[in-house]
Amino acid sequence: MSVGGGKHWMALEGGADGSPGEGSYTSRFAAIGASIPQRRLTTDELMASTKYRTDIELEQLTGVRERHIVGSGEDSYTLALGAARDALAHADCAAADLDTLLVCSISRHVGGLPIQLEPPLNVGLKAALGAERALGLDISNACAGMMTGVFILNDLIRQGRIQRGMVVSGEYISELGRNAAQEVRTVMDDQLASLTLGDAGAAAILERAPQGAPGIEVAGFTTLSEHSRLCLAFPATIGPGTTMHTQAREIHRVATEEAVVMLREVLDEAGLKFDEIDYLIPHQTSARAINKASELFAERFGTTPKHTVITVDELGNTASTTHFVALNKYLNEGRFAPQDRVLLLSLASGLEVGIVIFTVDQLAGRYGHDH
Amino acid sequence: MGTIIEASATAEGGSFPGALGLADAAARLCLQRAQRTADEVDLLINAGVYNDRGISEPAIASLIQEDIGANPEPQPGTGQGTFSFDVRNGGCGMLSAIQLVDGLLASKTVKLGMVVAADIDPEPGVSEGFGFAPVGGAVLLSAGDSRAGFTAFRCVTFPEFAGLYQSNVVWREDIRPGPSDQGRNVLTVEIAESYPEQALECAESTVRELAAASMLDLGEVDLLVATASVPGFAAELAKRLGVAAERVALPSPALARAHTAALAVALQSGRLEAGTTALFVCVGAGITVVAALYRGD
Repeated sequence: MSVGGGKHWMALEGGADGSPGEGSYTSRFAAIGASIPQRRLTTDELMASTKYRTDIELEQLTGVRERHIVGSGEDSYTLALGAARDALAHADCAAADLDTLLVCSISRHVGGLPIQLEPPLNVGLKAALGAERALGLDISNACAGMMTGVFILNDLIRQGRIQRGMVVSGEYISELGRNAAQEVRTVMDDQLASLTLGDAGAAAILERAPQGAPGIEVAGFTTLSEHSRLCLAFPATIGPGTTMHTQAREIHRVATEEAVVMLREVLDEAGLKFDEIDYLIPHQTSARAINKASELFAERFGTTPKHTVITVDELGNTASTTHFVALNKYLNEGRFAPQDRVLLLSLASGLEVGIVIFTVDQLAGRYGHDH
Repeated sequence: MGTIIEASATAEGGSFPGALGLADAAARLCLQRAQRTADEVDLLINAGVYNDRGISEPAIASLIQEDIGANPEPQPGTGQGTFSFDVRNGGCGMLSAIQLVDGLLASKTVKLGMVVAADIDPEPGVSEGFGFAPVGGAVLLSAGDSRAGFTAFRCVTFPEFAGLYQSNVVWREDIRPGPSDQGRNVLTVEIAESYPEQALECAESTVRELAAASMLDLGEVDLLVATASVPGFAAELAKRLGVAAERVALPSPALARAHTAALAVALQSGRLEAGTTALFVCVGAGITVVAALYRGD
């Protein structure tokens, strides 16, 4: 049985039956920041670097035309720091006002490709930002890391335990593509997904919304661990950094199927129909995978969101940052109206399914566009 | 309503079972002691840092969830499933994870949370400076009906001492036969000689701040659970704080160098009696200190 008496499978915040119930506060996104490296690497260039002749039409297969990759002096830490500063530049608060700082990077490259296991990354970021008062914590949940951070902060803000916090991640993962390029031989290779990865940092500041103001309507998460071993990443044997081994077709199949069930649950809890969502932002694995998932959703729901966001074509899969890099891009381009309702859908190794539904509201006005 | 510890457990076995095996065993024993089933756990957080292959994805918690059989398959309409993720806060990870569970229990987002941790040397003979005991630990938490349980947390970082404790995976040139003829990734752990003393300093100042904010007389502490991944830390901290030696939860000498599971290890030697006050202090690289007060149920 669920806490509230219903029977939802996901851990839920908000909605008809989610925690913490009557009298709670509303949390909202105060600002979204991003840090995208200048350097670009086209798929043609990457595939020209493979050790073996593969004949893989990666761009046609995935829709990934190019990705951005780190340059000299950039790594997971600097990308996270840049994104955090960008978010603060669009917010009404200073770093010193943050009660909590959650760092959610999968990659932990600091000073190049060394992987920093300890100290936690939040220690350096707190100091660099001047967020001394914040409770700092590193969490790790594959590509669902930042969404997990949002889930945690949303809960703390709704309870009134904190006023505001930041979720931040820097992903330097392009070396997985370089490592994969040395080993991939066929389109069935379990490192194929590594060739779609790009580098990026992203940050989201969450705060308590003024009374009556819109914000996050519902957030839900669950882990379907029978699929936990479909994607594994660990230090590489072939070179510095990491390699990732994915049963890509299988994880996409089960993730899409399970997403239907969880989407239905969250939409029901929020009292919403699928076509009341203005923008669906799914995890960005490949354009083809997103389009196939959208077709399945349309078939199962009989309706679709008004827009489905795809950024993977120009940014690649930027792991835990994808939703927030996309949000930042659309905010900067002035594509959201204040009344737009956005659904963030996280499907990540674990298998993690995370969903956040929110109204854009004041966020739209923070990026220099007149609505 | 406070967050209470229903049960705790540890698992040893050398490096043979691997970190995952140790975490799984500790989790199962913990559930058994609490007479709970795995399906009842709706939040599972892993706080271990050093696992079998240095896995960075997925969250180790999801692997543990599958292994112990905590709602691995979705069954919508039948109740709540399990949400799993990792905390990577070094030697403070277990107490940091307990703080997160405390928040999600208080909001009734979840009803039963488990924190699990285990560390092993991923490549004995290759890793440099790894000296932690291979042990797993688990703590099971729920919301109590009374005011007992965790009542306050304090987390402070001291970035000026970050260099005293560094752990990285680095690429080293290595011409020995192996998967690559160019080199290999090597885990390196470097803990400065001055770290234990500095950890004590940072812990003491954090505890005194917590005590002042909570109006606690440190002489009232009935049980001190203190960890810093170095032997002798708890006893030395007790002296500084004026806590009597017999009130310190001490691990067995073999587990004195337990790392992320050290909190669960220490709990095996101390009892959280009803009405008593326990002080938890975990110190890790950063330097990070997490301290918490617990009122026995």
